[in-house]
Amino acid sequence: MSSASNYASADDVRRRLAEQKYICDQNIATVVYLATQLGKPLLVEGPAGVGKTELAKVIATSLGTELIRMQCYEGLDEAKALYEWEYAKQLLYTQILKDKIGEVTAGTKTLAEAVDRLTAQDDVFFSQRFVLPRPLMQAIQSEERLVLLIDEIDKADAEFEAFLLEILSDFQVTIPELGTIEAKQIPIVVLTSNNAREMSDALKRRCLHLYIDFPDSALEHEIVRLKVPEAEARLTDEVVQLVHRIRALDLKKQPSISETLDWARALVVMNVESLDDEIVKETLAAICKYEGDLRKAEKELAKHLDQKKAAAGGGESTGETPAGDDKDLLH
Amino acid sequence: MEKRILEFAAVLRNNGIRVSTAETLEGLQAAQLMGLGDRTTFKDALRATLVKRTPDIESFDRLFDTFFTGLGEMIKEIGGAASGGMTEADFHDLLDQLAELIDGLDPELSELARALVMQDTAALERLLREMMESGAVPSVDSPTQMPAAIRAMMDRLGAKGLAEELDRVGEAARESGLSQNTLGQLDEYLKQRLRDLGEVLKGTVKIENEQREKPEERKQDRDRLLDKSFYYLSPTEIKRMREAVSALARKLKNLMSIRRKKMKRGRLDVKGTLRASMEYGGVPFRVRYDDKRKERPQIIILCDISDSVRNVSRFMLQFVHSLQDLYSRVRSYVFVADIAEVSRLFKENDIQTGINEAINGNVVNVYAHSDFGHAFREFHRNHLDVVDSRTTVIILGDARNNYNAANEWVLRDVQQRAKQVIWLNPENRSTWGFGDSEMSKYALYCDMVEECRNLRQLYSVVDRIVLH
Repeated sequence: MSSASNYASADDVRRRLAEQKYICDQNIATVVYLATQLGKPLLVEGPAGVGKTELAKVIATSLGTELIRMQCYEGLDEAKALYEWEYAKQLLYTQILKDKIGEVTAGTKTLAEAVDRLTAQDDVFFSQRFVLPRPLMQAIQSEERLVLLIDEIDKADAEFEAFLLEILSDFQVTIPELGTIEAKQIPIVVLTSNNAREMSDALKRRCLHLYIDFPDSALEHEIVRLKVPEAEARLTDEVVQLVHRIRALDLKKQPSISETLDWARALVVMNVESLDDEIVKETLAAICKYEGDLRKAEKELAKHLDQKKAAAGGGESTGETPAGDDKDLLH
Repeated sequence: MEKRILEFAAVLRNNGIRVSTAETLEGLQAAQLMGLGDRTTFKDALRATLVKRTPDIESFDRLFDTFFTGLGEMIKEIGGAASGGMTEADFHDLLDQLAELIDGLDPELSELARALVMQDTAALERLLREMMESGAVPSVDSPTQMPAAIRAMMDRLGAKGLAEELDRVGEAARESGLSQNTLGQLDEYLKQRLRDLGEVLKGTVKIENEQREKPEERKQDRDRLLDKSFYYLSPTEIKRMREAVSALARKLKNLMSIRRKKMKRGRLDVKGTLRASMEYGGVPFRVRYDDKRKERPQIIILCDISDSVRNVSRFMLQFVHSLQDLYSRVRSYVFVADIAEVSRLFKENDIQTGINEAINGNVVNVYAHSDFGHAFREFHRNHLDVVDSRTTVIILGDARNNYNAANEWVLRDVQQRAKQVIWLNPENRSTWGFGDSEMSKYALYCDMVEECRNLRQLYSVVDRIVLH
């Protein structure tokens, strides 16, 4: 297999994901590498906004393969996920058959003989020709290896989960009229779940499990630096620290990584250089989406600024690393 | 290594993490693929393959550490104290001198003595592990059994002659003409190591105990729990009951989604069929049906949380709120003499916190005497408008009214407005209506009155409510 379409090692995973601007820790890299090597689906769980879906996307781009995404929702069924018969085409076919029926049965002497001939044609009716492939089928039928993302599997019904089992364990689907279709290659399957409900054990058994939590501040700092390079290092530092403090609060919804990024971008757009700015308070809405959370975050911001002031007062003699001082205060 | 991973899988199972054979095999494969060079990578690989439930990750991490490195870490930690007051350099010198001494000894020291004296963690660990694997580590349930257990293990390790062996080392040291100071340190050190061995063995017993199979709750145990009356639950049983309740809730939920699917097809949808037929030149090729929408029931639940029935209320609240998404709306009220709505608590907290908040006495005074009549009147005055023709009202209580006014007319009004009124009584049916029980008065205005003394009855009642 060519090196471009496969990872050489866990470190290679990490490096290549970083090339796609996705920074991950050793654990994620190891598990992704295992999933590609063992040919196992990967079930990714974790709080909203830690980059679960993003992970699947960057796996696809870093391997240079196609990504097929299937968004799950309540009521998703086989017809929408796997395949459907193209009724219109089939109907057309029957009409053609009606016109041609004379030709087909020409020369037959008995009724039984005519029916035999027709039966021979019948098989065409339920054939690949009339199958309309949906995402899962496309993934199975593809000639090249690709990434199949089954997003938010917890939103789908429990029955749908059961239906996925065949695909996930054997990479094949069974169409009653046609038989079993096996995958030409084993796709890299990534399932994501926000844990709206517990997945069945049967599904979990077939997958590798990866839990992505919020990153530690060093990693998040790196992420913000990479994604919002226009923000100054000091601002980034402050932003990440404050977000981490806010996450530690008792909130209805914790700010996600993407929200940290949004906030950093917002601050840059507003030309804010440090969090002392009056305007910062108004941008907090980027990370807190509930009234109550917002109020708590504002309080935390005020506390942060107070501490910073105190640190600046006492820290002047020690040197030029105010950012470092802040960190000491926090840990 | 294969053997160690298999053993580890067994340890996980003993600690309540479900690991299938297929998963163990994958774990082996993954470990092979990643190699054993890097500990974190190895751990990540095993975690991804063996553990599939997020809450289990924490125990996996802990077990992994004790299983793969716990022994060594423990030995090292205990050994670290042995250097006493010496500086590190001095201590190293001492060890070097000891090594020379030991090499010169005849007959040679036993493996155990050498490992102990030389602080050879790896050798010591190997010896202990061999002992663990041969099943020679006794199980210790109480601290008083510890000394005997340690003695037994000492014998097993062949530590009988250990003290003499160490004496011989001391002897050899004196003969070799070391300084008085060093000799003193050496003696002290050897004594310390002997004591260390005891500590190490104690630690070994602890680690082994952690890995051994726990007397887990067995299936029949759970079944027994199903039938056990709510009145007689011990605190640990309450805890286990909580798990049983959520398991039952999950089961019911799955069942419901299957049933609902079956009921989905309704009558012919003429408009839809006509519209679909346009695609096929007017031939009604695909027939459309109405979705038969089953109305999700709305539930109002009134829970008596006075002492006598608090447990039942606790489980009822848990059950109903775990099934939240089966209903379009659940409103919960708690009462003793006063009544208050607690639905908000469940929106803001997870279920267990919500329940604790609701029944801890901050919402309504739980030390008052039960007064159903008063609570009902309050409900009638303040909350009657939440009851409409789609609501099922569930009242949970023993109807022991302390001879207050029963005010059963409230129930009559409620019943007229509601779809149905269900009364669940956690008392034995034969005691209803005796003493201060007003059950017979209230029962007149209920569509269903059920005894609800244990989990099985609770389950069947909820099942019926969802179905009808």
